Amino acid sequence: MSPHSPSLPDLNLDYDRYARWLQRSCGRELALLVCDAAGTPCWTAPQQEALPAWLDGLTASGFAWGARGEGMQRHDADGATLLYVPVTVKGKTAGWVGVREDAATGADAPFEWDALAEGLEDVAAAIADECRRQGELNQMAGELSDRYEELHLVYAIDRQVQDMDSGEDVFGSLLESWAEHMDADVAAFIKPGENLCVSATNLSQPIHNLDLVLVEMRGDLYRFAHSSRQPIVMNDPGDPRRAYIFTDMPFKILCCPVFHDKSVVAILVLLNHAHKEDFSNSDRKLGEVLANHLSSLSRMHSMLAETSKFNQQMAAALIEAVEAKDPYTRGHSERVHHIAMEIGRALRLPARELDNLFWGSLLHDVGKIGIPDAVLCKPGRLTRDEFTFIMVHPERSYEILRHIDRLQGAVPGARHHQEKYDGTGYPHGLSGNDIPYNARIIAVADTYDSITSSRAYRAGRSHEVAMAEIVRVAGSQLDPGVIAVFEQVCRAEPEWIARFGIQRDPAAAVAAEVA
Amino acid sequence: MTQRHILLVDDEPHVTRVLRLALEKAGYAVTVAHDGHAALACMAQQLPDVLISDIQMDGMDGRTLCPRARAAYPDHDFLILVMTSMTALEERDWARQLANTEFLEKPLSPRQLVARLAKHFAVSGATA
Repeated sequence: MSPHSPSLPDLNLDYDRYARWLQRSCGRELALLVCDAAGTPCWTAPQQEALPAWLDGLTASGFAWGARGEGMQRHDADGATLLYVPVTVKGKTAGWVGVREDAATGADAPFEWDALAEGLEDVAAAIADECRRQGELNQMAGELSDRYEELHLVYAIDRQVQDMDSGEDVFGSLLESWAEHMDADVAAFIKPGENLCVSATNLSQPIHNLDLVLVEMRGDLYRFAHSSRQPIVMNDPGDPRRAYIFTDMPFKILCCPVFHDKSVVAILVLLNHAHKEDFSNSDRKLGEVLANHLSSLSRMHSMLAETSKFNQQMAAALIEAVEAKDPYTRGHSERVHHIAMEIGRALRLPARELDNLFWGSLLHDVGKIGIPDAVLCKPGRLTRDEFTFIMVHPERSYEILRHIDRLQGAVPGARHHQEKYDGTGYPHGLSGNDIPYNARIIAVADTYDSITSSRAYRAGRSHEVAMAEIVRVAGSQLDPGVIAVFEQVCRAEPEWIARFGIQRDPAAAVAAEVA
Repeated sequence: MTQRHILLVDDEPHVTRVLRLALEKAGYAVTVAHDGHAALACMAQQLPDVLISDIQMDGMDGRTLCPRARAAYPDHDFLILVMTSMTALEERDWARQLANTEFLEKPLSPRQLVARLAKHFAVSGATA
């Protein structure tokens, strides 16, 4: 019997209806019973509760269900006769419909048995039809539910990709939910070209050597998928292909190649322990869907990575151009950027603001490109005219950066990093909270680096001196709130203090506190 | 190991048909009831390891059935899974009051249901 064909007891058929039907066609009440394929009664007519016991008696004395020749079968016993027909579904016996005829009625009226035979056969045929119909329905329901699973998964992926932040570990979180959706023990995405191997587990039982298994995937399994160019399903532990590709991977395997420009660039692998169900055709199709998604995602990913690398290189070139003008400011932008980001993260700025701070702090001094070298590198005090050049540099930064759409959010930070908290700064004389938040952060980082780095006219001062100076100008030049966070960052002794070669002078800190 | 028994209660035949097939394929014994009264009658015959119930049903609904099933067999520790739609979050409050009761989001993926049950029995396996 196919897995979808229900057995008679499961069908919950309305046998009463068949009994009434038979009764009408024969004109009398009948001792009807229905048995399953093994001969176990699954229904008896009302008030015929003794029938199963009688049947047991027959079986005990040698009766066995069976169809010899066409039509109604007959088994005579003491005082009564069992008349019966098989219920045949797709050439197989699915059950039996029988009637007990007591000798008194049956034997005296053999002609009635012709009508009874016809009736029984009709009933058996009707039950068989119902069986088939239910089987077809089950089959359709099974198919539908497979398709539904596929859709369900596709929707889930779609939703997930939509909700994903670009910064997240995209592949890791996708694999995690796929392993769950597919109820697989391990899901892995392997891209040897980029040395990428991401995996997620949803273990029904532990795998002790998962790392080793992943190494196998990167090597042999990938090569195999690379040459076969189609999904590989291996459920059978004795699959002959295993000998050629694995040394030790006793799992059920579904491996789908991920294509890019018609060549296999990666594989998606799902593993299951041997006790789990086989990977089905539907799983295989789902695997292909997932692999396709991964293909476009990974392409998008590398495009994004390329673009962001390009952006950073462009920014670096721009900064290089500025810093080439004054060897003493070499590395200034990078340091201010690094410190500002530390403060921004400590402030728990939202992702978008952090991004603005990222670019604003990196590019805050690009406007210096317009300052004559003679002014920028002059060791002594600047004249008023010379200082005018310095004063316009934030506005220059703004003018340069405003043309870049991507940096719109970053521009205010660069434009206003020379404003002072009390309103005496430039270019616009903004004060307090009117100064963009990012600009106040950059100002603190900028001040710190100007004090601690060497200039044309003096050597760099120590960290402690810088901190004391910053605290001194809290509220006049710099935002006290930002300073508080910066102090907190510095108390943790971040590694960059040493990396930037900043002098230490604990004595100055003590002196500052005493003062 | 004896076969786990699952009582599936939903008034929509297409739901019970699909879930029953999936559960039977996974090796469970499944009884189907189409409302709360029928479900309680089934429980009187054989106590299930898991009761999976819809909420909206003609006759006795799931909101009535689940607490009654729980109260009627205080010594029988079985899992109740209530099928709810994502939009009917307020429906969950009454079910949260019941011990050992969880939710299944409708529309339900048969595959996920089977996986969920497998996990449940893997955890409770030693005691059952």
